[in-house]
Amino acid sequence: MTVHPPPSQTTLSDPPMMASSVPLRKYEGLASWQALRARRWYAVMGLMIFVTCGAIVFCLQFGAHALTMAELWSALTFSTAGNEDVARVIIWDIRFPRILMGLFVGASLAITGAALQALVRNPLADPYVLGISSGAALGATIGLALGLGSIVGGLGLPLCAFIGGGVSIVLVYGIAASQGRLPMHQLLLAGVIVNAVCSALMMFATSILNPASLYRVVLWLMGTLNAPSMPALIGTGSCLLIAIVLLLRESQALNLLAVGEDAARSLGVDSDRVQRTVFLVSAVLTGAVVSVSGMIGFVGMVIPHLVRILCGSDHRLLLPVSALGGGILLMVADTVARTVVAPAEIPVGVITALIGGPFFIYLLMTRKYRFIA
Amino acid sequence: MSPQALVSTVDTPLPALEVRQLSFRYGSVQSHPPGDRAAWVIKGMEFTVRQGEIVGVIGPNGSGKSSLLKLLAKLVRPQAGTIRLFGAELGALSRESISRQVAYMPQDLSSDFPFSVLDMVLMGRFPYRHGGVWNLVGWERREDLTVAEEAMAQTDVGHLANRMVDTLSAGERQRVLLARALAQVPRVLMLDEPTAHLDLNHQLEVCRILQRVHEQLQMTVLLVSHDINLASQYCDRILVMKQGAVVCIGPPQDVIHPRVLTEVYGCQVLVDAHPDTGLPRVSLPGQDRHQTVAVSGML
Repeated sequence: MTVHPPPSQTTLSDPPMMASSVPLRKYEGLASWQALRARRWYAVMGLMIFVTCGAIVFCLQFGAHALTMAELWSALTFSTAGNEDVARVIIWDIRFPRILMGLFVGASLAITGAALQALVRNPLADPYVLGISSGAALGATIGLALGLGSIVGGLGLPLCAFIGGGVSIVLVYGIAASQGRLPMHQLLLAGVIVNAVCSALMMFATSILNPASLYRVVLWLMGTLNAPSMPALIGTGSCLLIAIVLLLRESQALNLLAVGEDAARSLGVDSDRVQRTVFLVSAVLTGAVVSVSGMIGFVGMVIPHLVRILCGSDHRLLLPVSALGGGILLMVADTVARTVVAPAEIPVGVITALIGGPFFIYLLMTRKYRFIA
Repeated sequence: MSPQALVSTVDTPLPALEVRQLSFRYGSVQSHPPGDRAAWVIKGMEFTVRQGEIVGVIGPNGSGKSSLLKLLAKLVRPQAGTIRLFGAELGALSRESISRQVAYMPQDLSSDFPFSVLDMVLMGRFPYRHGGVWNLVGWERREDLTVAEEAMAQTDVGHLANRMVDTLSAGERQRVLLARALAQVPRVLMLDEPTAHLDLNHQLEVCRILQRVHEQLQMTVLLVSHDINLASQYCDRILVMKQGAVVCIGPPQDVIHPRVLTEVYGCQVLVDAHPDTGLPRVSLPGQDRHQTVAVSGML
């Protein structure tokens, strides 16, 4: 590259060193690298979708009743005669909805985790820091205490949880927002406060529950994907789909916000709008997920982290890959939960906590993180 | 490819920045009583920055230098007064249109999120992004890459394109931030302490790059600095601030004067000529001299 002479006379009188004496150096491999970036996106996404499909088939095969490959194949392809085929019932009526729910819930937790980490500029944040989950848990507990658990065809519990989550979203937002802005440290603090108050109220509610309801609350709190209803599946799936589209639209803005809010604003990011959008999308999705599956911890923290180590911080890739990764983790964890002590089950929240806890400790000990939002 | 890719094409005879009666304070109006003058970070500032000049802003800690820069980049809104950017009222301009004209370079980059240098520089193309149904995530186009490449060449970070930003030295990081600012193709470049935390060699490097950018791209540069000598060497004019107000503004030869500096900083300083350029150079008095000066000041 040739250095052009300065087009205008410099206004400095006799500059100490001619600036153009510094040669311009250019990196030649850049264009190909950029082409590689876009191609890499498609390659990684293709690979992730392929692995996800593989994981679904893998999870379909395992369970309390072991299936042979032949049985699995014939049930998947509907090639056996008769509707009463056991394998077909097990796979399509029992396992498939549950696996699908695992995919939706895992994907929702991971994508909201990734988005929130960028928003509060802390790579250790998790969907539960916003206080929505404990609101939902409180809603579910109150619902059970009032005997609303089995109304609306068994949807009473998720509905109560969703209402509880919604109330806590409004509370957290109301506490944190000031003058049309949503300061992140205030958001975190509001989440902590709502969490604490809801936990206290929930302890009070559980203390007056009857033993049968108490057992249901405790099981639900541990997190389970058992026997999801069709409306729950459709509801969670559509929430997730809308959330993915909305979050992907803000993915480059999230990149900029993750690096610094002032810089992002000076680059034209409407930070107030992006923060509001991401908060509301994450909050509603978390509320929906918690209401159908209870508290499943660590997926939202661990998965975005792993993906960031493997694929970098670009949220255009990080968000969708995290979603698929979270789905895979939860599907597999749930398969382990319903297989290892069959015919009994371990709550899937226990498995994710057992994976996530040590991983969290490992991260704390090997990497230096600042704990300031 | 020529550096022309980075030159903004709009040309007007209007001043780059025109500040009138600018006043600003943090927090809401209710949190301070009306008569509380100390609460104002900026009070009644007036000055003009012409197109294509380098203006340095100096002043003691807490004099409102960084706040002024944030006001000029519309990162915060003033309580009173007007700022005109090439004749247009800043308050009426959208964030996007400002970000195509003004690049603001923050003091330092600190992030727990690893990005590559190329990713970081391409962020400077955000004001020019193209969304749409088929580009939901907003991938950059070929033009964006051309500009980023040119910006990286200007600040000499092209060879670092694939490196992660958190593995760079402070000087390299500063040059990456500068490349990101240039990728915005701004008409005004605002820098907050571009040479803070840098050793001498890196300071010189950043300054040379700034000067090259200023000459080749005809950019208006506004920089906040603690380093009076650096401002004196590289700036066309210097704005001296104290307690949120303009003390004086003018060429280094006029402004860098012992009387002005003593008044602003509250301590004795010596000013002589730089051996190469003859521009004013500031030093703190030696211990003996300090006492003599203090005594003669009392007499």
